Amino acid sequence: MFKMSEYSFIAGVLSVALALGCYVIAFVAARVMHQRTALAGAGAGGGTVAVDGRGGVNLGAYGTLLVYLGLTFLTASLIFRTVATGHGPFANMYEFSIAFAWGTLAMYAYFERRYHQRVLGLIALPVALAMLLYAMTIPATIDPLVPALQNNLLLSVHVAVAIVAYGTFSVAFAAAILYLVQGENGRRGLPSRELLDEISYKAVVVGFPFLTLTIVLGAVWAEVAWGTYWSWDPKETASLVTWLIYGSYLHARVVRGWRGERAAWLLLLGFAATLFTYFGNLFFGGLHSYSGLNNQ
Amino acid sequence: MTQTARTQAIPRTDRELIDEFDEGLAVSPADIGERLWHFFISMRTGLVLILALAVLGLIGTLLVQAPSGLQANPQAYATWLESLRPKYGGWTGILNTLGLLSIFGSVWFKGIMVLLMTSVLACSANRAPHLWKLAVHPRTNMSESFFGHAPLSMSAVGSLEPLAAVASVQSAFRSRHFRTIVNEDAGGDTIHLYADRFRWGPFGTVIAHLSLGLILIGALVGSSFGFRNTGLAVSVGSRVDVGNGTGLSVEARNFTDSYYTNGSPSDYASDLVLYRDGKQVDAATIRVNQPLRAGDVTFYQSFYGAAAAMKVVDGTGRVVFDQGVPLEWGSDDGKHRVGQILLADAGLTVYVVGAASGEVDPQIRPGQMQLEVYRSGSEGTRIATQIVTQGQPMKIAGLEFTFVRERQFTGLIVARDPGAIFVWLGAILLVGGIALVFFFPNRRAWALIRRGSDGTAVHVGAIVRHDVGFEADFKCLTDDIKRALAGPSAA
Ligand code: HEM
Repeated sequence: MFKMSEYSFIAGVLSVALALGCYVIAFVAARVMHQRTALAGAGAGGGTVAVDGRGGVNLGAYGTLLVYLGLTFLTASLIFRTVATGHGPFANMYEFSIAFAWGTLAMYAYFERRYHQRVLGLIALPVALAMLLYAMTIPATIDPLVPALQNNLLLSVHVAVAIVAYGTFSVAFAAAILYLVQGENGRRGLPSRELLDEISYKAVVVGFPFLTLTIVLGAVWAEVAWGTYWSWDPKETASLVTWLIYGSYLHARVVRGWRGERAAWLLLLGFAATLFTYFGNLFFGGLHSYSGLNNQ
Repeated sequence: MTQTARTQAIPRTDRELIDEFDEGLAVSPADIGERLWHFFISMRTGLVLILALAVLGLIGTLLVQAPSGLQANPQAYATWLESLRPKYGGWTGILNTLGLLSIFGSVWFKGIMVLLMTSVLACSANRAPHLWKLAVHPRTNMSESFFGHAPLSMSAVGSLEPLAAVASVQSAFRSRHFRTIVNEDAGGDTIHLYADRFRWGPFGTVIAHLSLGLILIGALVGSSFGFRNTGLAVSVGSRVDVGNGTGLSVEARNFTDSYYTNGSPSDYASDLVLYRDGKQVDAATIRVNQPLRAGDVTFYQSFYGAAAAMKVVDGTGRVVFDQGVPLEWGSDDGKHRVGQILLADAGLTVYVVGAASGEVDPQIRPGQMQLEVYRSGSEGTRIATQIVTQGQPMKIAGLEFTFVRERQFTGLIVARDPGAIFVWLGAILLVGGIALVFFFPNRRAWALIRRGSDGTAVHVGAIVRHDVGFEADFKCLTDDIKRALAGPSAA
């Protein structure tokens, strides 16, 4: 099982890397085509060029297939590993990073199906790939659970819910980046700002309830294990900060002067906070250090 | 500033729904109360407060925070502050004065919490009647221009009679679980239809907002009326009073720490027995993640260590002490573990010192403890320092001390939190409220059916908020309507 999990993981990494390659080439090709047609005066100016590379081979579609393939491999890897370890992917950063990448891919796939904007993948796939490459730097060894982590059901749900939240935040981040890159005029062959804004919002609408639930479940665990639902442990606090930033984003969307660009910046800030919370284990101590790399 | 095209396209009436949140700043009524009210219900105020709280939280993660309860002990606090100097240098004092080293107890934090809560409550109070009206007495009639501008819209002309057209529009909505309200204009030529779904969904925001208040109340109740002792060390074989008005005492019958083959811990388990007024009231084995709940008091496994079973007999042969002494403190150099015996009658404080595990001390060998005897109260006059060997009584200060055997102690957290129930209730409402807003999105649509010269015109329009699936559903729905409108003859 352990070996199977490793092989699936590697296959997953390769699929995602190839998918990203397809997207990049398809996007560049589409832009070149777009410029040519624009020069030829064919009048597609200002329109949306989705990454669908209509130049012969439909690379974009292959990219998406590869995303599904990668998702399948990573799902298999996580399942094999769960069987091998007997618990969900919460015991160390190796497991959790794969799960994070899985969440990002799954949410990207979901939003791609809905909105047909492969260009989101240009940002979301690198995020997933970075997580996977990071996982590769961590030994995959299976260590038995220290007592604090022996709460399999609760922690598995806690992580599963967190993964959905993080995945949607990656998508919101991707859309926000594109929103800002595109600028006011919308002339860079990207989806319209309106659409990007909508994608971000819809992603946060899914992610925010899940993040809320993640924090609540974390509080339940803290109560059972440490005798208090909240202790301002740095990891808890960081997740609260993340929650507040996304909360402010939801409100910002109905405040004059905060819609649009500022809201997009809040999404970048929110994603930075997400990563800060995620990697927090590495540089701040606290209760969660039990779940980190050092078996305190 | 940068409004999206979507927002601009929404007709005035609906834009008001959105923009009225951040009105208030423009108004300047003379009345201070009213000004305050407008300040607190402004979404901009709310936004700034939420972000301010986030900034404080960020500071709290980036700067080392004082362990809770440390401030109660000025000397320990000063020592702790000193230990930060290498890290923060000259800033240490400044950070401390600004309260940034215990930020979640600082005036900044409390102040922002108070403002934020006021704002949340004011917003909800301000908004709830409006939501109530939308749910109970919605606006049912829309003018034709609404359908031209609505984010989702459809217009079609068909051969059906107006009443039959209304029925088909109605059934299209009903089959999708919408409630419909039909309103006929005086002449009978124009019929308005209003349809909505999950009309209570928007109350999720009110629930979410109020639940924050509940959580805060729970936290305040907990910190005012609860207690949390993070360091109750109970030596195996001994019984200790819990205190804090619980009337309970706890005995540790056994403690086991188990390890995996790689040396990392696999289990900590304590067999506890609880007594109230000398009578046993409960018994259980607790572990990390498996506390003992006795009424409103909960016992958690937290730490453990070595203990020394000690027996003290006075000159008359009376046993004045016979218990395990948890060696619960570490010496400054980390080489020794220290426990304490208070002998109130004799007016003595005795420190029991053993070598820390893994440390070798030529003075205190295995099977030995060092006793340091002080007179209680007076600024620590040491009477004697003696090494005692297991099983060999030794006379010190007129008393006979025996180090009976080594034992272990189990370290418990004992807590009572009468506010927790509010916190959990608030948490459930928070998650439920947010899920209600986002996963049971209120859908609202209007239709206008009018007899015209070339048939019956049907306009359908809807506005969308937090709703991933509505656009697709709307298309499906209007396709149904179009098909029905065309009538059986066209089929
Ligand atoms: C940490 C604190 C807060 C949380 C967790 C919170 C939560 C929420 C949520 C989840 C929504 C639904 C979001 C949406 O419609 O897109 C919402 C909406 C709203 N919030 Fe808050 N909120 C907070 C603070 C505030 C404050 C301080 C104010 C007032 C200034 C406020 C006023 C509103 C209003 C007016 C709405 C829209 C209501 C509606 O659309 O019917 N909120 N809030």
